[in-house]
Amino acid sequence: MSLSKKSTVIVENLRKKQMRESISAGKRLDERGLDEVRPLVIELDVIKKASGSAWVKLGNTEVVAGVKVETGEPFEGLENSGAMIITAEVLPIASPHVEPGPPDEETIELARVVDRGVRESEMLDLSKLVLIPGKIVYTIFVDCSIINVDGNLFDAASYAVISALASSKLPVFEIKDDKVVDTGKTQEPPITTIPVSVTTVKMGDYLLSDPNTEEEACMDARLTITTNSKGSIVAMQKGLKGNFSVDEVKSIAEKARVKGEEIRGKLKGLINIG
Amino acid sequence: MVQSRSLIDESGKRSDGRVIDELREVKINVGIIKNADGSALIEFGKNKIIAAVYGPREVHPKHMALSDRCVVRCRYHMSPFSTDTRKSPAPSRRETEISKVIRESLEPALILEDYPRAAIDIFIEVLQADGGSRCAGISAASVALADAGINMRDMVSACAAGKVDDKIVIDINDTEDKEGGADMPVAYMPNLKKITLLQLDGELNSNEFNTCLDEAIRGCLKVYEIQRSSLIEKYFGNEKGLKEE
Amino acid sequence: MQEVKRKYVIPGDIVAEGNLRPLVNVFKIGNSIVATRIGITESSKDGAKVIPLSGIYFPRANDIVIGKILDHSSLSWSVDINSCFAAHLPAQDIFGRDFSPAHDDMGRQLSSGDVIVARIAIFDRTRDPILTIQDKDLGKIPTGELIKISPTRVPRLIGKRGSMIQTIEQASSTRITIGQNGVIVVSGKDKEGTTLAINAIHIVEVEAHTSNLTQRIKQLLNVPESEIEVDDTPNNEVNGEAINDDRVISNNNDKELGAINSNGTK
Repeated sequence: MSLSKKSTVIVENLRKKQMRESISAGKRLDERGLDEVRPLVIELDVIKKASGSAWVKLGNTEVVAGVKVETGEPFEGLENSGAMIITAEVLPIASPHVEPGPPDEETIELARVVDRGVRESEMLDLSKLVLIPGKIVYTIFVDCSIINVDGNLFDAASYAVISALASSKLPVFEIKDDKVVDTGKTQEPPITTIPVSVTTVKMGDYLLSDPNTEEEACMDARLTITTNSKGSIVAMQKGLKGNFSVDEVKSIAEKARVKGEEIRGKLKGLINIG
Repeated sequence: MVQSRSLIDESGKRSDGRVIDELREVKINVGIIKNADGSALIEFGKNKIIAAVYGPREVHPKHMALSDRCVVRCRYHMSPFSTDTRKSPAPSRRETEISKVIRESLEPALILEDYPRAAIDIFIEVLQADGGSRCAGISAASVALADAGINMRDMVSACAAGKVDDKIVIDINDTEDKEGGADMPVAYMPNLKKITLLQLDGELNSNEFNTCLDEAIRGCLKVYEIQRSSLIEKYFGNEKGLKEE
Repeated sequence: MQEVKRKYVIPGDIVAEGNLRPLVNVFKIGNSIVATRIGITESSKDGAKVIPLSGIYFPRANDIVIGKILDHSSLSWSVDINSCFAAHLPAQDIFGRDFSPAHDDMGRQLSSGDVIVARIAIFDRTRDPILTIQDKDLGKIPTGELIKISPTRVPRLIGKRGSMIQTIEQASSTRITIGQNGVIVVSGKDKEGTTLAINAIHIVEVEAHTSNLTQRIKQLLNVPESEIEVDDTPNNEVNGEAINDDRVISNNNDKELGAINSNGTK
């Protein structure tokens, strides 16, 4: 059951006034333009015990993702496919508002939206990660820990997961005497596309990209759109209690495509892949 | 536990190349989590651990508040990718026990009577573990508590010592923890000279125990130097140490 | 000028030895006075203390704070004062003793998100702070830019008898309201002045513990050379009150270690 909650973050009316005045003049309180994304910093291979990992900073929002690979049974109905499981957790270190305990509806939504972006885009060719069809396949875990919250967790977590996966060195398993053996060799992950998530929020009549915590506390509605390398939309999610007009949605979708391509270029450069 | 193979080679080198009285490299970065009141990232060998402190702050739910002192809550948690085999994100019994002993290792240093009806929350997240993570976590938490400006009687520094190939060694790594003869984590308040954490896994006779404890304390003091220099560097920049006027 | 010794300490470090009185953020053990926080020590024949460089705001009776209205119950507003306790502003403080929720509309006076400057009327170990806005210059702040700094830097920002903050106000043509809890509202006629003031405030926050700060701030604000004084104590202790008539700032920044007295005073 889902319940409306009292906002955890109440923004001072003085700050809201400052924000409105600033935005109507084309700038946000942190000096960014309405369409501008915060500085994106990605450090790879930060967790040596993982097959791949990334530490992403999107402004002050920070996320660490790690890839671990095991073997196991395939998912039901997907006998010829490797299994992929993506999780996301907002750690209690990340914000004064996090309650330790089982994931709440927002954290679950975050994990599922990030997962959809990767899965629906078919970023990983899972058919290449099978050992014995129907019996034993590779299980790829990508776990995401959010370590500092300052807005736009959807995009930051998504970039962390993508970077960790794309830069990983997967183990090579084989079957010897009916047992799974780690050969000690590594392989490149079978990447087909780089999905990029772009989140836009609506505040009054204005559309802003990449909101920080204070802006998120003042926004009416949010739309996250993930596009693949071909520019097609592979996942979408609208959030919060406000609404969008049809024209707004079309405009956001087009912007997400363009911005997605920009960020894709940046990600490719940072991860060093073609 | 009885060892099955030798963990120290003929030239006296351990599985990671150290000699028996050598600590792994330790680095501490203060203030790494911007939202927290105090925080520190510690790299202790291959351990990579973040400690963050929120507090003093309001107690939720209110009925858990104490009228004469602060409530301390501590959570030690390992990220799924932190260990050799992937770990489920849900808290395990081991993490629950470690959360408790860590809280009890830090509480003696905190002046809890200064903050009645409030809470101090200490969160330790292990991003990568390699033996001695609870000691590294305690050392990082102590720095985070000082960074948060919470009144403390002393810092808390922690290090483990143990027995490997029948020799007493300082700072046990993951392999030595799993396969060695004994593992003894210790936390210590360096100025008050008091022990606040003491656990043992393995078998030590009385001489071995005394030597092991001395070695662990020696390790704690080395960690203390790094805790101090990391705090001085963040707060006073290059103007280290004394400044008399 | 009396002999004052200063040094940098972390918790557990010895501040001074001998028969000195322990003041704030220290405790005495045997013949030594030991620091309980990171900061700069000050020891003289009057005693030894540590001026802290970090820590959240812990309420004290009579402090002036700037808070944000969160919500209200039938009898009071709950106010976020950037501290470990939520504060309460009783409805009676505004409506008087005959206040009744039946005919007095609390929401019309103050609603969620409103910013107020208030004084902590009551605070002790047994309950949350109670605020009042009845004194001169207290009440709702309708306009201005709101920023937050570490509460430990507020004394340095105010300066000896308000000297630092007045320098900034005059040079930037702004009016600056400072709460002991680290919340600050800057209001000026133009954006340029406000921005200049805010930049100066941030520099003071970062460099509070250094010497010659006043000089650097005056250079930033283009204050003529002749007006720069030589005095520059890094921590800026102010003895006694330094209240400006047309603005609310107060200067009790000494904090006793251990129990806050039952009526909230030090």
